[in-house]
Amino acid sequence: MPIHKLLVANRGEIAARIVRTARARGLAVAVLRHRNELTGSAHLIADEVVEVEGPTPVAAYLDIDQIVAAARRVCADAVHPGYGFLAENAAFVRALDAAGIMFVGPTEDVIDLMGDKVRARAFVAERGFPVAPAAIEDDDPTNFVERARVVGFPLLIKPSAGGGGKGMRVVREDASLEAEIETARREGKRYFGDGRLFAERYIERPRHIEVQVVGDGRGNVVHCWERECSIQRRFQKIIEETPSPALNPEQRAEICKTAAGIARAVNYRGAGTVEFIYAPDGAFYFLEMNTRLQVEHPVTEMVTGIDLVAEQLRIAAGGGLSHAQAEIRQTGHAIELRICAEDASADFRPAIGEVLLMEEPQGPGVRVDSGILEGSKVTTDFDPMLAKLIVHGPDRAAAIARARAAVQDYVILGVTTNTGYLDAILAHPRFLAGDVSTGFLAEEAPVLTAPGDDVTDILLAAAALSDVRLVRAVDEIPEMHRLMGAWRN
Amino acid sequence: MRQIQSRIDVTAGEYRENYVAMTRRLKEFHAHQHAARYERPRRDLDRLARQNKLSVRERLELLLDPGTPFLEFSTLAACRAYDRTVPGAGVVTGIGIVQGREVAIHANDASVKGGAWYPLTVKKIVRLLDIAIENRLPVVHICDSAGGFLPLQHGVFPDRYLGGRVFRNQTILSRMNVPQLAIVGGHCTAGGAYVPALSDYNIIIEGSGAIFLGGPPLVKAATGEEVGVQELGGAIMHTSVSGTGDYRAASETHAFALAREVVSQWKQPQKAVIATAPIEEPFYDPRELYGIIPKDRKTQFDMREVIARIVDGSRFHEYQPDYGTSLVCGFAHIWGFKVGILANNGVLFNDSSLKAAHFIQLCNQNRTPLVFFQNITGFMVGRQYEERGITKDGAKMLMAQGGSAVPKFTVIANASYGAGNYGMCGRAWDGRTLFMWPQAEIGVMGAEQAANTMADVKIRQLQREGKELTDAEIAAIRDPVLERYKRDVEAYTSTSEIWDDGILDPVDTRNALAISISAALNAPIGDPHYGVFRM
Amino acid sequence: MRRLLEIRGEEFPIWLAHTGKGYVVHARGRAVHCSLTRSHGKGAFLLELDGRSIPLRLTVSKTATFIHLYGRAYEIGRTDPADQQVEGGTGTGQDKILAPMPGVVVSVAAGPGDRVGKGQTILVIESMKLETTLSAPRDGVVAEVPFAPGEGFGLKDVLARLAPEEE
Repeated sequence: MPIHKLLVANRGEIAARIVRTARARGLAVAVLRHRNELTGSAHLIADEVVEVEGPTPVAAYLDIDQIVAAARRVCADAVHPGYGFLAENAAFVRALDAAGIMFVGPTEDVIDLMGDKVRARAFVAERGFPVAPAAIEDDDPTNFVERARVVGFPLLIKPSAGGGGKGMRVVREDASLEAEIETARREGKRYFGDGRLFAERYIERPRHIEVQVVGDGRGNVVHCWERECSIQRRFQKIIEETPSPALNPEQRAEICKTAAGIARAVNYRGAGTVEFIYAPDGAFYFLEMNTRLQVEHPVTEMVTGIDLVAEQLRIAAGGGLSHAQAEIRQTGHAIELRICAEDASADFRPAIGEVLLMEEPQGPGVRVDSGILEGSKVTTDFDPMLAKLIVHGPDRAAAIARARAAVQDYVILGVTTNTGYLDAILAHPRFLAGDVSTGFLAEEAPVLTAPGDDVTDILLAAAALSDVRLVRAVDEIPEMHRLMGAWRN
Repeated sequence: MRQIQSRIDVTAGEYRENYVAMTRRLKEFHAHQHAARYERPRRDLDRLARQNKLSVRERLELLLDPGTPFLEFSTLAACRAYDRTVPGAGVVTGIGIVQGREVAIHANDASVKGGAWYPLTVKKIVRLLDIAIENRLPVVHICDSAGGFLPLQHGVFPDRYLGGRVFRNQTILSRMNVPQLAIVGGHCTAGGAYVPALSDYNIIIEGSGAIFLGGPPLVKAATGEEVGVQELGGAIMHTSVSGTGDYRAASETHAFALAREVVSQWKQPQKAVIATAPIEEPFYDPRELYGIIPKDRKTQFDMREVIARIVDGSRFHEYQPDYGTSLVCGFAHIWGFKVGILANNGVLFNDSSLKAAHFIQLCNQNRTPLVFFQNITGFMVGRQYEERGITKDGAKMLMAQGGSAVPKFTVIANASYGAGNYGMCGRAWDGRTLFMWPQAEIGVMGAEQAANTMADVKIRQLQREGKELTDAEIAAIRDPVLERYKRDVEAYTSTSEIWDDGILDPVDTRNALAISISAALNAPIGDPHYGVFRM
Repeated sequence: MRRLLEIRGEEFPIWLAHTGKGYVVHARGRAVHCSLTRSHGKGAFLLELDGRSIPLRLTVSKTATFIHLYGRAYEIGRTDPADQQVEGGTGTGQDKILAPMPGVVVSVAAGPGDRVGKGQTILVIESMKLETTLSAPRDGVVAEVPFAPGEGFGLKDVLARLAPEEE
């Protein structure tokens, strides 16, 4: 059943990215907007903008009834959820289904299964795939603390309904367990509307490697190779790359085959990602499956040449896979940098402000997926990620060099961003050597957030000379008195 | 204009001796200045710190445009008075730049006797306000004074040019539409209260600033009312209740920033137009003045060598170079401003007096300010000169100078004796500024001459009484007179008494004159009105 | 011509001067000769400093200057000393609301013990046939409102008092 009109139930860079592919495929596209939001890049390129209401913009984007109504209003025959918000919400899929609107994504039962960390883990384990040591679910909040304690420390706690690292915490000692559980529960409620938690043994010095899969829902699944996502701060990825520098061809083939196998086991439809914990000894364990488009999907697109959104739309419309597994090859190396409004030197405190001046980097092998425009107000209403900078190069060294040049050229003034921090990561010898784990950023924090060369004189001079009132006041001084300087008799 | 060709040999022994002598004098002078500006008893500095006040020098720096000059007047006022306990007479005055505008500044120095007004304090303030009136310079008062110094009230209060003159001058400025701003950074009690009250704008610093006619102790004594400083005359009361204060500042820094904002609201003056040229440094190094000024005051020197080290490009257009040669007259530029210069190269004769009278009229004709460089021992005396009418010719010079309307500036470069001082625009002749070099002397005649004259009177008196005096007895009469007279004619005495606007290091003369000239152009230049020239 | 600039939490008092030949920024105890000229590109400038020619991107907001330099973005906070708030110096006398003229209390909006924000109405009075709203001079707690609605008062009577501020 072909799609004619698509509603993108998301915002920011991903909305713009989806609109671009949809329009390129000849679809009409509608996007949402809350009155507290200024025009974003998606609003400029969409065919139609639908207002959504709610006490906060986040609440509006999570409001299933309202979004289904919006889809109806604009006569959309399909809804693309992007990532976050309602992307992995089975109730949303059911609501759309009831309204006769297509959901660009997997079936609700797969969402349900994979959305439940404990069930997903059991499902995967039963079919012989590797899973992490002991884990428990928060099915009974009254005794969760005691049961978590039994699993042993270090312990990783995360919201059952979660993703994107929100609400995740590592607990190393009994004393802080209860407090951490409470905090995680609160964050889970806030971000996902679900306070249930999940706990598992935490693996030290792990890498985070994930595999992109695409299925047609008719038993055909291909993988689009892995992504290395170990560069994380507060459990959130900020640099992703592919291929992973940690894997040799055999290990790569094995982990990708495992991922495709898991997807095949659920008869996966659409684009999804199977995440693994990769231990220093080369062992890997199923972590979770994200039944949606990932933030970092562009690196896969850059090395494979496949437009994953196009694949999603095609499969949603009943089409088959566009490529056979053998045709999907990794060419060169791609790196994604997440440009976030935050102060890396102040514990990644979200930054707010107005984008006063912006210029995106350009050049061969450089792609920018951005949700902001000059004049955009950055608030704490949404995730601090403003844009993604993706580069592609013939090999890893070339890609890193290109990424550094591009991130240095990325001008965003008016709101503090992490561009300088990302550049510092790219320049770090351990990153260059591929010697990282998910703890890398925390371990190297002093180096990464160290102030660079002293440019204070330059900054002070430029700030003084660009201060119009200051310069005018100096210009008012008669020439003779200026020339005399601070003469005293 | 042609460049002066200097004949000075900087390798000559005499030059080097002069240089050493002047350098030694200047070292002493700068030490005096530094002490007058910064050296205070510990307890006075501690008191300021306790009161959360900045020093007057720090206040000045906050007020002035950074990187601009400040011409300070009479830094060593009272240096030979009150047992040297009142450095600078307890007040700082000068001309500076605030928001690009030239302003006269009067700032009490609370580290000196709590900023109390001594007789010379009043004289210094009145002089500053006279300068403001003559040059139409806006005034910024920085008020922090304990009030009149009571033990010397007779020298502070009653006479025409004493305390009342400060306030009278404020009213004159206001009626001339010359704005004044007062920053109250301490107590303004009794008469002192009128300084901010008579200023068109004022700012009170919260906490330290207060204005009242009578302070709390006086109120208690007079009426029995017990009231605190803040309630009686604090910043909040005056800015919100009495309206005596305009702006309330949270701190010293805030006060001076606000003050700068207030000044920036004032209109830029329409300055008088005189001829100007692009600014040029002197071709000859001004520091060579040290070797040119003779270590012995009686040694003659060529004023053209001095002019060459003060004027732009050392260029000088000399008028009547071959007539009346004991007075050098001519045109030059100082920091681009065209000036007419009169400089003594010896005693004033009939011809040099007539030349001066003529040249002064020329400068008035083309609106050229006058600069006098004094090294004058007087008009020539003797029967021959009296017969030629030296007094009559001298009177012409005085008449021309007195009727002159262009701004006049005087530098006492060496000697300033007798009527020559009058002809060369001495203090009584309303020059806009008058500065002295540290070795210069001022008096009705030279020290030896005066001492001899005074001793002779005494000796003749004793002789009439029939006493014969030995040489030793004559010396015993003469020497103490000479000693005292020598001291009385020194620049330090002059500057202590504010007979001048300060002693200058000779190399600073160029800047001091330029700032004075620039300030003078804030007032329009009128037409000259001469009296009757005795022909 | 002074400014207080701030980079990464560190404050730099600076002043700008002009020597006649060019601008000089005085900061950190030294004088830096410099000039800033616009170049091609959005917000692009060329800063001449110490004989170097430094390209940078720059934009200015009311309180900060944002500079993109050598691949990094910097925010420089900018304060004019004259912009300091006088409110910072509140002292005694800010505790009381005095009657600006004789009149009658119409209504009382906040009573003793109530926490009020600066500008919040405490009471309304009537005088000379006009109603006047009197509001809190600062944030604080109301200590006393001596007159009840309908009661008359004289000039300078205390109409409300805030509890003294705690340090």
